[in-house]
Amino acid sequence: MPELTYREAVRDALSTAMRQDDDVFIMGEDIAEMGGSMGVTAGMLDEFGKERVRNTPISEMALAGAAIGAAMQGMRPVAEIMYEDFMTLAAEQVVNQAAKLRYMSGGQLTVPVVFRTQGGAGWSPGAQHAQQLEAWFVHIPGLKVVFASTPEDVRGLLWSAIYDDNPVVFFEHRTLYPIKGNVPQEIEPIPIGRARVHREGEDVTVIATGRLVHESLRAAEEAEGEGISVEVVDPRTLQPLDEETLVSSVKKTNRAVVAHEAVTRMGFGAEVAAVLQYQAFDWLDAPIERVGAKFSPLPFAPVMENFVVPHAADVLAAIKRTVGKA
Amino acid sequence: MATEVILPRLGQGMESGTIVRWLKSEGEPVEKGEPLFELDTDKVTQEVEAEAAGVLLKIAVAEGEVPVGQTVAFIGAAGEDVPEVAPASPEPGAGHRGPTETASPAETSVPGTGLAESSNGRVKASPLARRMARERGIELSGIRGTGPDGRIVAEDVERAEAGGPSPAPDTAPRLWTGTGPPVPLTNIRKTIARRLTEAWQIPVFQLQASADMTRVNALVAKLRERDPEVRVTVTDVLTKVCAHALMRHPEVNAEFGEDAIVIHSHANVGLAVAAPQGLVVPVIQRAEEMPLRVIARHRSDLVGRARENKLRAEDLEGGTFTISNLGMYAVESFTAVLNPPQAAIVAVGATEERVVPDQGEMVVRPMMTLTATFDHRAVDGAPAAAFLQTLKESLEDPGLAL
Repeated sequence: MPELTYREAVRDALSTAMRQDDDVFIMGEDIAEMGGSMGVTAGMLDEFGKERVRNTPISEMALAGAAIGAAMQGMRPVAEIMYEDFMTLAAEQVVNQAAKLRYMSGGQLTVPVVFRTQGGAGWSPGAQHAQQLEAWFVHIPGLKVVFASTPEDVRGLLWSAIYDDNPVVFFEHRTLYPIKGNVPQEIEPIPIGRARVHREGEDVTVIATGRLVHESLRAAEEAEGEGISVEVVDPRTLQPLDEETLVSSVKKTNRAVVAHEAVTRMGFGAEVAAVLQYQAFDWLDAPIERVGAKFSPLPFAPVMENFVVPHAADVLAAIKRTVGKA
Repeated sequence: MATEVILPRLGQGMESGTIVRWLKSEGEPVEKGEPLFELDTDKVTQEVEAEAAGVLLKIAVAEGEVPVGQTVAFIGAAGEDVPEVAPASPEPGAGHRGPTETASPAETSVPGTGLAESSNGRVKASPLARRMARERGIELSGIRGTGPDGRIVAEDVERAEAGGPSPAPDTAPRLWTGTGPPVPLTNIRKTIARRLTEAWQIPVFQLQASADMTRVNALVAKLRERDPEVRVTVTDVLTKVCAHALMRHPEVNAEFGEDAIVIHSHANVGLAVAAPQGLVVPVIQRAEEMPLRVIARHRSDLVGRARENKLRAEDLEGGTFTISNLGMYAVESFTAVLNPPQAAIVAVGATEERVVPDQGEMVVRPMMTLTATFDHRAVDGAPAAAFLQTLKESLEDPGLAL
């Protein structure tokens, strides 16, 4: 099995799809010569040319709208929104157009577009370049939302997103780009809507997304040392949500922690907690714990940034609270 | 901040307990869950476990009687200051509570007793613990919560089902001091005195009947022959027969309350046992559902542990009716005092040969006299008489109750 970085895994999915399928193309700000601000599309211009690796003006609304239009015409565009924060500028097109057109046209139109974007703290990007806004888009009927945390998942899920006939908002995490992981020789599509159990355990289930999957796995290691057996599950797809896997895990462990980097208030974890309390109410032996960023704009100062966003220690503390060992 | 160690409520109706001795001394490190002190309650003696880890900073009450909820010690970090302890007065309004009586807020607002009752009288328990307790027929109100804020969690229900905290080891000093006046009152003696005095206030009436025990004796003999391991006794047959009669006459399986009469749906039959420390009444739960042999096993276990002073609080809770049997002595008949809040108790005399008429002839039969006492507030004479008649008929033809 080859080893790829998360960044290379994204690039591999894009390039492989573009090699096998003329309908697939990518567009975004500075993705061509520069290879994207995160270097994800580096080298793709040389292979595919500027018709299929399209630099756009600095207007997220325009580039999102163009991608939606192309998708309605039968293409499978993958638009890169440089920072998740800029999804706010593309939101009109994504939320009011992409999400609605298939429904409003009675199925006459499909919008097989992917909006790739990235965010995440840990490198002092400040308040406007690292937000985690996935919950905004999970709230919109008509969109699918993916947040992959490993090279294997990001490649397999991006592939499924490209070939999904519905608009997909595809979140990547800035600090995960350099992480390495084994991937299958050939791309194996990972179905949208299926969670992944990263680690099995008996005492508490941690449901984590993005960077917090890795923080949670570290916390689980530490908890193990203290005699607490932790199951770590990554939903991978936030919409649709694999409720069955999450609920059955919590029915087994009777305790749950939800963890993400986004602020806790109205975060994705709130929805997961609601699903769990409803479907596993009689199995819960402790309140569901939520781990997320403090309710604050992200500070520039590294020490303060570190304070605001959650880490393995926060997950571990939540794990211990659920088992009454805090 | 140092954690207060608070005298826990170990069973329903417990208002105070007597600290017998500390198993840790001041300055000694303590793990959460480690036995901290021995507590003598009105029902049992048991070890109380530490709710927090740290150093036992201060023992506020070295020994003696303490009301539930009072701070008796502090656990914290070494060298930490501990607050002054004001001697707590007994909880306001903490009257005796019957097993099924609903707790009123005034009685239960005892912070940090370890019993998971919040100030509005609701028991704090996790949804899982609630479901488990529901499925296993365990009363949450009698369980000590070990979760955060005293919440009852699944483990606590499992522990309660398995038999509660471990009983005091045999090395524990016996509270019964034997001979020599004056004998100081033990908690259990005080409880007996208080409860019987309470019971004496209740307007009662007695009904008496004698039963021909020929068939019961034959049945017991046969069962013993078949299965000598499980020694079925007349008491077991009585338990079964009473449970059967209580199901037929539910108005007797009752409890008088201020606003309503509660009719219990199961016959939880208590057996008055003369234990070394005094009278105790362990309960055979749901006796109506049990075959004789199962009743015999339960009875043997409960009576055995009663005699060894190893009963647990839950062994004594939930009774709906009591049998007091002095048949092993030369007692022809006697009247028993009610065991509140139960509405009835039956006093069983010795089985003795008596001459009785049988179709105009005088015959000799093993006869036993039953004297039932009823709470007249809850039960009237006619249903009580019908109950006693069922009891008599079932003893004379035990097949009816089996």
